[in-house]
Amino acid sequence: MDELTSVFIQEGREQLQTMETGLLELEQNPDDRDNINGIFRAAHTIKGASGVIECGFIESFMHKVENVLDRLRNNEISVSADLTGLLLRCCDHLGLLMDVLENGSKEPEDEAKTNGNALQSELAAYTSNAGSPTPPGQVIEAESEVHASGGGVVDTDSWHISVRFGPDVLRGGMDPLSFLHFLASLGEIVALETIPDAIPSAAEMDPESCYLGFEIRLQTRSSKADIERVFDFCRDDCELHILPPNSKVSEYQKLIKELPEDDMRLGEILVRCGALTQTELEEGLLSQKQADQPVSPQNQDASPLQQPLGEILVDHKVVRKEVVDAAVSKQTQISEKKAVEARLIRVQADKLDQLIDLVGELVIAGASTNLLATRSRQSDLIESTSILTRLVENIRDSALQLRMVQIGETFNRFNRVVRDVSREIGKEIDLVITGAETELDKTVVEKIGDPLMHLVRNSMDHGIEAADIREEKGKPRRGRVELKAYHDSGSIVIEVIDDGGGLPRNKILAKAIDRGLVQPGQSLSDQEIINLIWEPGFSTAEQVTNLSGRGVGMDVVRRNIQSLRGNCEVSSTEGEGTTFTIRLPLTLAIIDGFLVGVGKSAYVIPLDMVIECIELKENTADRDFLNLRGEVLPFVRLREMFEMSGTRPPRENIVVVQYAGQKAGIVVDHLMGEFQTVIKPLSSIFRHLRGIGGSTILGSGEVALILDVHALIQRNADLGAREHNFSRPDTTDFNA
Amino acid sequence: MKTIFLVDDSATILLSISNILAKAGYATEKAANGEEALRKFQSGIKVDLLITDLNMPGMNGIELIKEVRKLPAYRFMPILFLTTESQQSRKLEAKAAGASGWIVKPATADELLNTIKLVLR
Repeated sequence: MDELTSVFIQEGREQLQTMETGLLELEQNPDDRDNINGIFRAAHTIKGASGVIECGFIESFMHKVENVLDRLRNNEISVSADLTGLLLRCCDHLGLLMDVLENGSKEPEDEAKTNGNALQSELAAYTSNAGSPTPPGQVIEAESEVHASGGGVVDTDSWHISVRFGPDVLRGGMDPLSFLHFLASLGEIVALETIPDAIPSAAEMDPESCYLGFEIRLQTRSSKADIERVFDFCRDDCELHILPPNSKVSEYQKLIKELPEDDMRLGEILVRCGALTQTELEEGLLSQKQADQPVSPQNQDASPLQQPLGEILVDHKVVRKEVVDAAVSKQTQISEKKAVEARLIRVQADKLDQLIDLVGELVIAGASTNLLATRSRQSDLIESTSILTRLVENIRDSALQLRMVQIGETFNRFNRVVRDVSREIGKEIDLVITGAETELDKTVVEKIGDPLMHLVRNSMDHGIEAADIREEKGKPRRGRVELKAYHDSGSIVIEVIDDGGGLPRNKILAKAIDRGLVQPGQSLSDQEIINLIWEPGFSTAEQVTNLSGRGVGMDVVRRNIQSLRGNCEVSSTEGEGTTFTIRLPLTLAIIDGFLVGVGKSAYVIPLDMVIECIELKENTADRDFLNLRGEVLPFVRLREMFEMSGTRPPRENIVVVQYAGQKAGIVVDHLMGEFQTVIKPLSSIFRHLRGIGGSTILGSGEVALILDVHALIQRNADLGAREHNFSRPDTTDFNA
Repeated sequence: MKTIFLVDDSATILLSISNILAKAGYATEKAANGEEALRKFQSGIKVDLLITDLNMPGMNGIELIKEVRKLPAYRFMPILFLTTESQQSRKLEAKAAGASGWIVKPATADELLNTIKLVLR
């Protein structure tokens, strides 16, 4: 695929997205003019660009779409559900056509063609009752309209062109000379007379105004339209007369009369440039006097010179009527949407990945240099490496920032999903999006789409009740699904919130017992029951509908999110709704870490999660919780957890971490401070290890493991619940 | 070498026109919207001709032309705008704003280059 086509495909898809978002919004606010203009502009851009790359099937299809949008824009047709539905289907079809182009096919498959034709005929219904507008590009040919009135034929084979430039020609960025040059490229300029009559005295002359006119004899095979085209750009503010070869003398008379200069002087000029012979001129002037007699009175009142320029030009078919009409009806300019368009550079994603990889290596190499410098004890070297380290940190941050994209685009896709699905299942559901500007790593954005889709469909299908039931319960008829994104201590949180019936505890429990996930008689907290939905094998065929089913259980959703080093939780109040919370790391590549040591091993805790470090007092040795300024702080001993050999050092430290509102302590031997951590994923054979999220390489070349704080806290809580035989505390109870 | 400044929100059109111009021996400068273009003009970029699309999000072509004409260095620079046959009324509006002429989309390479030849000095 050539570069132009790939640029087009990318651009086309973006514009398609704009169209689709706009159309969905149009359903909500049918009177938003800015939005309609935006939709039109997007369709127009696609059409124009597809013409440029000569992709006929997209261009012709988009032409039809654009026509309908144009009528919509001009208030000739009004917004209706049918129309937006049709246009949305056109968007789908366009997406398909883009795929065809991207796959390098010459034209779409027959099925797609049939579909496209069907859409086009539906579109035609919206344009058919239009009056027959003037086909674009119709130029009224003056040649056929030359008045055949009186007088002999002037014997010459050249065109005669009279032009008087308007005073603003120079200010419009044009040079009269360039018209002459261009005219000369059409044929041969046989004679040229400059008419300087309009030049005022030097004192009154404005050097920026143009006062010149020309009488030109041009020998050419070009048509009148071609010659006129040369003057296209100044035709509105210059006086232009074009007489074809062998025009009647009377035509020249009229010309002389209409031009501002003195008749006799002009006559002489015409003779001088060979348009007329002296005899023809005399004959002409004579017959003109006679011709003047029978002219009707109203024509005498207004001599042609006093006629507005526009009328003259229209009379003589020099200017298109529509152009003048349009000028008279000063069309109010529709203010364009003042969207703050960020300045963008398109870069291929793998170039960025390569950069991030290199920055990762740079960070590791920098750490090693730093270490060597510190060992050398040379203060100059240490100082310069510390400057270098700071710069590397800045580079790392900027490089990572490059990969951050707003989640809004992903969210906006759901407008369409919610609209279509709610119609399909006959529920009334609104989608509310907040935090669309929240940024996260591009890879995460790409992979979060599917799990989100599943959760949203799940909420719509199982969460939101039918409108009648909602009304009975005293809720608004329209259900509400909210997509929300925000940052929270080093992670990004995405929530899918619905105001539906909530998760039915009894049904879940019954099903779990049925599936053998829970023993009958086992007592479970509400949260534990709800969490059963994540268990593999919980989601079963019984539950599968054509929507949320799709053969994917919630356990798959959770696994997908965990593969992004994230996790998901659910909370639900029966009768009021359900909230799914997804937590994801901000980036998958490099983080600020906090390096700790246990025995000879080093571990990294993501710095964003670290709150403080305290010393572990002796007297807490046999417990695994302590009193932190009045709060109960459970902690986990890494030494025990990872079953490390060797004895405890006399003084141990606790790193207090926080994750999703829970605090916990991690007991380590020593604290080694901040460390820029390039995350290297663990190979899949280590995937079942809980408590470890990845690995990194230290400046010394040794490997350090990155702790999965969430898993540690979870494990701690689970252990606590089991050993002390009380129900597992709710997430917030740690802070109590 | 003459430098031509292209402004269009469509990346496809920017690329295709600049390809044609490059083959014809012109240097090109590009911007994707009015604001970006105006900033470059305000910084005093050396340009022999401006070709701008009219219909762009944010600052549109007509506003851009008006603003560029206000800058002393570009008062007499030729300015062409890209338009379609269906937008006759906008031609006048753009002319009034200070444009020199227009190019009707879709234009062939010859049409484009001829028009440029007409207005370039």
